[in-house]
Amino acid sequence: MIRRLWPLALITFREGTRNRAFYGISLIALVLMGASFFISGLIMRDVGKAAVDMALSTVSFAGLLLVLFVSIDLMAKDLDKRTIYMVLARPISRRQYIVGKFFGISLLIAVTVLLLSVFAAISISIIRWANPDYFSRFFWGPVMLSEVFIALSLILLSALSFLFASVVSTSFLTLVLTIISYLIGQSLTSVKALVEAPQASGITISPVTLKLVQAAYYLFPNLSLFDIKIYAAHGLAIPSSFIVWTLLYGLVYIILSITVAAHLFAKKEFP
Amino acid sequence: MSIITYSGITKSYNSWPRGNSVLALDGFSLEIEKGEVFGFLGPNGAGKSTALKILLNFVFPSAGTAKLMGREVSDEHARDHVGYLPENPYFYDYLTAKEILWFGGKASGLQKSEIHARTEMLLDRMGLKASCDRPLRTYSKGMVQRAGLALALIHNPDVVVLDEPMSGLDPIGRKLVGDIILELKAQGKTVFFSSHILTDVERFCDRAGILVGGRLRLVGNLPGLLSGAGSLEDVFMRAVGMTEERKI
Repeated sequence: MIRRLWPLALITFREGTRNRAFYGISLIALVLMGASFFISGLIMRDVGKAAVDMALSTVSFAGLLLVLFVSIDLMAKDLDKRTIYMVLARPISRRQYIVGKFFGISLLIAVTVLLLSVFAAISISIIRWANPDYFSRFFWGPVMLSEVFIALSLILLSALSFLFASVVSTSFLTLVLTIISYLIGQSLTSVKALVEAPQASGITISPVTLKLVQAAYYLFPNLSLFDIKIYAAHGLAIPSSFIVWTLLYGLVYIILSITVAAHLFAKKEFP
Repeated sequence: MSIITYSGITKSYNSWPRGNSVLALDGFSLEIEKGEVFGFLGPNGAGKSTALKILLNFVFPSAGTAKLMGREVSDEHARDHVGYLPENPYFYDYLTAKEILWFGGKASGLQKSEIHARTEMLLDRMGLKASCDRPLRTYSKGMVQRAGLALALIHNPDVVVLDEPMSGLDPIGRKLVGDIILELKAQGKTVFFSSHILTDVERFCDRAGILVGGRLRLVGNLPGLLSGAGSLEDVFMRAVGMTEERKI
């Protein structure tokens, strides 16, 4: 099985790293990291927190662009331009195709986040060297954990895009559905809290809206769970149970999404 | 022994959301023997590509069964020893010819040394050696077609399925493909190819079939098809004139 998946994962990764959008995204990340030096010079207090927050936000933003504009494109091209023929003409099943392609894209996301994390570490280190007083409560551990969570949430989003690509017929629709899922996933917790206690905000919520939000809460991934930038920025301790459960949640969601995507893809035709 | 078998294949494409469907193949049956070079003829929209895509399991038959080397086409191992060149092939933009051949060899279970040897031989044979490290998006249409043919042959397959292999090729490229088909024939490989070029079918094929409106109108060995007719063109025109496009 791995013998057949690995070649597909590797060419997917190579194709992704040579995509012009990949270089564009890396450049945007570098510019944003560079900008954080100047921005930190303008802030009068909490320079350390701002520097960590900006660096991690850049990693997260550049990673999101990678998923939306490179990883979705890698799958879309196979379906729209029928490059999938060169894969499926081999002794590779549609299910194996989905898993192999997903491994390649996950590798691309992991390596990109690693690279961006190195940029982020350099950016934080320089600001820390220039402003040591503001970094008294700074620890690398939560920063690195935050980067692992960012990578996991991006891989999860990518798994969702695979699921959408297995159902819809155009890459544009896959992109739109992935963006919608991202927006819902980021705001679910806040919206659920709002509709479940509307009196606190002085608003009224219909029972239908409440049920819809509750259904969405369990259907869409809760991406805000993976956002622990605030812990890293403030040097707060992160409970180990939270780390374990969040990692498990992410992995289970990814496995479920890819399993369903592979099942649906097995029935897809390529005329 | 039949290497390729189609038994009563019907295939209709449904157009969603309008709901009307087009019948691409209608009770199509065909057997191709080991070592045969079979030419598949038919007007545009006759269902030739659909028949080839069913063989590669890209599309599923609505009814009937298809087998490759004795295995149902839905079994991915039916494609262990099959090479395929699609009509107007398109490959990953940023990969090189060497890289797609590496992929083809690895995915078909070849060892590193075999991949290296066959890649060198095929790139040389296809005239792509000088450009093998360039991204495929910089290739001309003919070069892409030749890279596709190299990919189809990388694992030295027993069965080679070619969908319009001469499409987009200049006379030199067409001669190259023709020579390769003849070499494969000499090696005892089975070649199943679709074409619009009747002279190619006359030159290379042991047998030919003419598909019209999703139905196999004529099939037989070349001397048999040509007996009593002036040329393959006459045979083709007569076969095509018999039916019209069918819709359900």
